[in-house]
Amino acid sequence: MRNLLNFLAKYNHLIIFIILEGIAIYLLGTANNYHNTRFVKGFRGLTAGIEKRVSNTRSYFHLREISQSLSRENALLRAKTEQFSQKDDQVFFSVADTIRHQHYNYTSAEVVNNSVNRQKNFFTINKGRMQGISVNMAVISDDRVAGVIVGCSNNFSVAMSVLNLDFRLSARLKSNGYFGSLSWDGKDYRTAILSEIPQHVTFGIGDTVETTSYSAIFPEGIVIGTVSGFEKSGGDFYTIKVSLATEFRKLRFITVIGNLMREEQLELENQYQ
Amino acid sequence: MINRILRFGLIFILLILLQVLLFNNIQFSGYVNPYIYIMFILLLPVEMPAWLLLILSFSTGLIIDFASGTPGMHTSATVLAGFVRPYVLRITSPRDGYEPGADPSMMIYGVRWFLVYASIIVVIHHLTLFYLEVFRFDDFFRTLLRVILSSVFSISFIALLEYIRKGK
Repeated sequence: MRNLLNFLAKYNHLIIFIILEGIAIYLLGTANNYHNTRFVKGFRGLTAGIEKRVSNTRSYFHLREISQSLSRENALLRAKTEQFSQKDDQVFFSVADTIRHQHYNYTSAEVVNNSVNRQKNFFTINKGRMQGISVNMAVISDDRVAGVIVGCSNNFSVAMSVLNLDFRLSARLKSNGYFGSLSWDGKDYRTAILSEIPQHVTFGIGDTVETTSYSAIFPEGIVIGTVSGFEKSGGDFYTIKVSLATEFRKLRFITVIGNLMREEQLELENQYQ
Repeated sequence: MINRILRFGLIFILLILLQVLLFNNIQFSGYVNPYIYIMFILLLPVEMPAWLLLILSFSTGLIIDFASGTPGMHTSATVLAGFVRPYVLRITSPRDGYEPGADPSMMIYGVRWFLVYASIIVVIHHLTLFYLEVFRFDDFFRTLLRVILSSVFSISFIALLEYIRKGK
């Protein structure tokens, strides 16, 4: 205490100086618009660096939510474009037909369980019946084929991955439109087999393979992969190796596509079989 | 003692009036703004305690600030000038020291001494003041030029006033 008093007595002028100068600077900073702005600017410059780091870190931790919201938005936009892209070439339509512009419905979801190393691979997504998912909807990831929904609970759905021996998909070569059947041979999780392409068709390595709408599951034109090799098999057909475009090992955010007219199409088709 | 207080009070009022009414309205080409009120700090008795000096500096600055509408600017500069004054007095002290109870005036210690003593404090004051006024280091040399020119004018006016005071 005594030392403190001594100290104060010894440096009283310094302390008074600091106090008075402090008051003066305070006045300068608060009472003058210009100086106030400069102060604020200065402090902002000082803290901006720190804040930037903090917000960088924070946004890193929020990446998950951000990508979720982005994929939600993507699905929404896709549904919107679907509404617009259906060409208005109909002259006659029912007044009660409220979805005449819309053929497909898009919902985003997240993969919560996945496998690639079995012969019959399935993956689970975090949306189900309550969110409007139903069996036989298509699953795409980043505009590439991922699978087909085969079972739904209230809040989850199981999809059959392309990497499943039971998976069949109508696919075509983008370059010339010849279609065949896509399946997986159970060997390599990056390669599927496209069969039933007749031998007179010409195509090359690297050609894109995409979906057709014949299955009434996938919209047409969704990329499956690229041709990575082919061989003639037995009769008149090629067996084409398709390098899958989807990264099944890191499947995460996916979009479920529902065909609003599937029932109708199948019903009609069944009448003539 | 009362006499001295009255005399300093009179000097104080005169300097502030001079500053506010006359020198604040002088502006040669934007580079020269003499501030002569700092002379009050220069003239205070040598033995004045540091705390009183600081408080007087603060009040002087505050009054000038409110008269010229720049709160804090002159106050900061003047408080700093008041703070350094004892040190400046120490380094400029004549060979045989200051007489007890003396004022630091041109009359007693000579023109040269007064000019050196006044210059140091005025330059410190002006440096602080002008840089606080622009409050950035862009145009550093422009501001420095203003400081130098204004200091020259301030010192000249202060010396002139001191000379007139000496004549009285």
